[in-house]
Amino acid sequence: MQLEKSETMEKIPEQTAPNSRLAVWRRKLKGQKELILLSLPFVIYIIVFNYMPLIGWTMAFQKYRPALGFFEQEWVGLENFKFLFADSNFLRVIRNTLAMSTINLVLTFTFSIAFALLLNEVRNKYVKRTMQTISYLPHFLSWIIVTGIVMDVLSPETGIVNEILLALGIIDQPINFFADPKYFWWIVGFANVWKSTGWGSIIYLAAITSINKELYEAASIDGAGRFRKMWHITLPGIKPTIFILLLINIGWILDAGFEVQYLLGNGLIQSVSETIDIFVLKYGISLNNYSLATAAGIFKGIISVILIFTANKLAKMAGEERLF
Amino acid sequence: MKKISISDVVFDLIKWTFLIFMTLATLYPILNTLAVSFNDGMDTLRGGIHLVPREFTLENYRTVLQKDNLIQGAIVTVSRTVFGTVTQLFVTALLAYILSRKEFIFRKPITLLYIFTMYFNAGIIPNYLWLQKLGLINTFWVYVIPGAVSAFNVLVIRTYINGLPDSLVESAKIDGASHFRIFINIILPLCKPVLATVAIFIAVYHWNSWFDAMLYNGFNDRLTTLQYELMKLLSSVTSQGGDVESMKHTKSMVTPASVRAATTIVTALPIVLIYPFLQKYFVSGLTIGGVKE
Amino acid sequence: MIKINKIAEKIGAKADVKWLTGQTAKERIGVMIAGGEYPDFVDASDGTPEMVEAGAFVPLDDYIDDYPNIKNLFTEQEWNLIRSAHGKIYYIPQFGVVKGEYMRTQHNGEAFWIQKRVLKWAGYPEITTLDEYFDLIEAYLEANPESEDGQKNIGFAIITDDWRYFALENPPQFLAGYPNDGKAIVDPETLEAKVYDTIPEAKIYFKKLNEMYNKGIIDPETFTMNYDQYLAKISSGRVLGMVDQYWQFSDAENSLRSQGMDDRTYVPLDLVIDPNVTPQYLDKPHVNPARGLGITVSCEDVEGALQFLNDLLDPEVMIMRYWGEEGVDYEVDENGRFYRTEEQRANHRDTNWVTQNKADYNYFPTYEGLIEGTQNAVHPSEQPEEFWDSLTDIDREVLEAYGYEKWTDFLTPVEENKPWYPIYSAVDSWTADTPEGIAAVKMDEVKKQWLPKVIMAPTNEFEREWEEYMTVYHNEVDIEAYEKALTEEVRRRVEAALGN
Repeated sequence: MQLEKSETMEKIPEQTAPNSRLAVWRRKLKGQKELILLSLPFVIYIIVFNYMPLIGWTMAFQKYRPALGFFEQEWVGLENFKFLFADSNFLRVIRNTLAMSTINLVLTFTFSIAFALLLNEVRNKYVKRTMQTISYLPHFLSWIIVTGIVMDVLSPETGIVNEILLALGIIDQPINFFADPKYFWWIVGFANVWKSTGWGSIIYLAAITSINKELYEAASIDGAGRFRKMWHITLPGIKPTIFILLLINIGWILDAGFEVQYLLGNGLIQSVSETIDIFVLKYGISLNNYSLATAAGIFKGIISVILIFTANKLAKMAGEERLF
Repeated sequence: MKKISISDVVFDLIKWTFLIFMTLATLYPILNTLAVSFNDGMDTLRGGIHLVPREFTLENYRTVLQKDNLIQGAIVTVSRTVFGTVTQLFVTALLAYILSRKEFIFRKPITLLYIFTMYFNAGIIPNYLWLQKLGLINTFWVYVIPGAVSAFNVLVIRTYINGLPDSLVESAKIDGASHFRIFINIILPLCKPVLATVAIFIAVYHWNSWFDAMLYNGFNDRLTTLQYELMKLLSSVTSQGGDVESMKHTKSMVTPASVRAATTIVTALPIVLIYPFLQKYFVSGLTIGGVKE
Repeated sequence: MIKINKIAEKIGAKADVKWLTGQTAKERIGVMIAGGEYPDFVDASDGTPEMVEAGAFVPLDDYIDDYPNIKNLFTEQEWNLIRSAHGKIYYIPQFGVVKGEYMRTQHNGEAFWIQKRVLKWAGYPEITTLDEYFDLIEAYLEANPESEDGQKNIGFAIITDDWRYFALENPPQFLAGYPNDGKAIVDPETLEAKVYDTIPEAKIYFKKLNEMYNKGIIDPETFTMNYDQYLAKISSGRVLGMVDQYWQFSDAENSLRSQGMDDRTYVPLDLVIDPNVTPQYLDKPHVNPARGLGITVSCEDVEGALQFLNDLLDPEVMIMRYWGEEGVDYEVDENGRFYRTEEQRANHRDTNWVTQNKADYNYFPTYEGLIEGTQNAVHPSEQPEEFWDSLTDIDREVLEAYGYEKWTDFLTPVEENKPWYPIYSAVDSWTADTPEGIAAVKMDEVKKQWLPKVIMAPTNEFEREWEEYMTVYHNEVDIEAYEKALTEEVRRRVEAALGN
């Protein structure tokens, strides 16, 4: 910025200013030769494997047919994007996606962090390890198994949830949880909690190990209770990790997936269960349209980038750990 | 001279309630899957299997373990898991270290270059065509080279490194150590907990992957993976996949649900057995944690 | 396994089979085409048009005359239809061929099913109309709210999970006397295709379901349960009746048999609303000319591949595929009829034995009916003596009470299939940039949501809900474009069958 300014204002003299800046730069470059050399392969690698294939994004502007070569494809301009936004359902599926992602994000973050913090307070090594091991196991179950169990547990006829609610007198008729749209988002949220709390807490447990234990000793001397130590030392200690994960996940807010919703949804509640990904499947691949998914992918990518830039700026203003 | 305060008691109560509830809630699906995997498939159809099998059988496991190519798949999966985890962990950590250097002038652009990859994807067909051009289709390398550096893991490790005291690196630099030496001798040993975590992520990813095997090496039995073989088994049991015609006259010997359960147990077991060895690095109580200044 | 190797030895070739399912299948086909690398044989299912367009399949027109077993698999009319889709013969349909005689003992398609115990309780009445059917279920349920084992009986269930929901939406076509064209009914005179969601029978049917739902005859969970829960209910023996295609619940029926609850297994009924209408639930197996097994351009030995398929259709190999080895898996009596001894039958009931000893693979071109040159059924279970011997007491009692020999006798026999049948296969090639493609998706969307809604509405609100459903249906679905596209396809197929 400054360089441009000085050039336009006084064209011929003052050659020393840019020169000295350049010199500083050059010196910096020299001093960082090793870091630059070390990072060079990483730059080449990511460009080759992640950016070169993005040529494929041209698909979004074509009526792509796999049978044809690149130059034989029919170009349709923004047709595929128009298709997405022209459909009144698309706004609805965006709403569903946002709602479910947000609920998932809040619930899984809260539960994973709480689980890691509380598990950290367990003194007995074996109890701690056993609980941790058990808690991450559902990560290995496929969604089809997990949703099957969720449906059994919530069944109005035999489900344990209805039995408990009836026994406690909270309800007098069993609830058919999958017939009423108002439960669906929460069911998906808690299914996610169930499957991923333990797995998600691994990162936080690792982060906790880096906290300086002298802090705890100092706090003990000050007479802090266990809760206060957790709240004032452990939690701030893992805050950078929490922030980084939060920032990354905000970028994924338009990815609520499709498998859970697909497996748990039904006709009665499809107005709340369909996500962007399901919409794309229905109108894309199943109607022989390979381009629609690419168009939706570009749309999601752009939104993601806007979101993480905004979130990153906010994190910066708040003085917290940030992505870049 | 321990004194017991009321708040500590309340805290303990909440803590145990939450932990025990979570543990039981997550234990149930596993035990249920285990029970189903040992239960007769036809009987499972009736529903009502919870924690113990009603009609015990080994048939589901026999079906799974008799799958042809299973051994070959296991060899490939173990190879890619071991090789992939070791190499990827190293390069991921190295990049994380580079990007943790505040003075590095290309820090921000390279970080962004990697961050974008988490949100941009070319799609299945373009990726395939590109890898075909690079000559990676039908090779083992397609499992480990693309996706070798995951931006997510880089960020996780970088955050951990950022939490380490700067003085360690600074003093080493004053002693004239190169970045690479600092990385190897100082950073790596200090990062054990986060490396163990990321190692688990990478290893589980490799262990569970089947999509790349199907897509890139689907016609090459020598490069099949364990999970891909099991996916094929499952889809041949569930052959009704939408084609009404092809269903006629097929008699399923075992049901999809029972085979799926047995498959889940078979694939999760090795990970569960290896886990404690990595676990000790990050679930070790406060005594080991903490960085000496 | 052993048999597969024996067959392989005999014909000197062996195929390795890979399954592709669901969404991944379509994606995988796209990748295959884009990458230009194929296995020797491909059945691309609904990705077939793409494969042909990409030039992935070798045209077989010049070859098939040299392979009599393949050539004789289809009639001239059928070959015309196969050829017409893309101008040349690019694939060989794998299913739907009957040789000799129609031998099916079990109806595999759609019907209203009723438990044998219900028929027995009512003294084996003739049930022909929708009203009679539900009256019977209602009466039985009133007299027997619980089974002997103390479980609550369920009157009627419909599976609505995901794509399986067709059994919810398509009964109007059958009730109105049309065959399972799916997606539309076709007038055989004018050759016009029409949606069946708006015909009077549709409203009558769903009104009936609404009434039954409100009376508690229909399972309240029916619209929310998944496929596993559906099978669990049937396997428990509690469900008195349902409308479905047999293959969807055959596993559950096997489960009932293995529990010794044979009286809870089902009999198919071809119901109508007006008793003067002739039902067409039973369809002759039909060739779907839009799909089949193709030989790809990656195959280095097209002749070898065709020879392999030709050999698989050889009577000797067909016997080995389905019956097994003489003296080991079956015996032959003095009249040349195949049968199994008690021990051989026991072996074949043992799933473990079957997996280890039999080539239980049905997905290469094949045929059903009679094995060529013999009087024996292709499938042992369809050999009349074998079928009768496999029946339990209650099975025989039911069949004898009605004077039938096999389960398919419960349904009205039908004429030959029409050349356009089934028209639903036309939808495969529709794309998102055509109004009919969009209409098809919208139609599913609307029906999936509204049919459960109108059925679950309080009885006095049914009319209003139905009106609203119809309004939404007409607003959302471009019926005109949809019907026009299907009508054109019907006419094209009729012309093509004639070889024009």
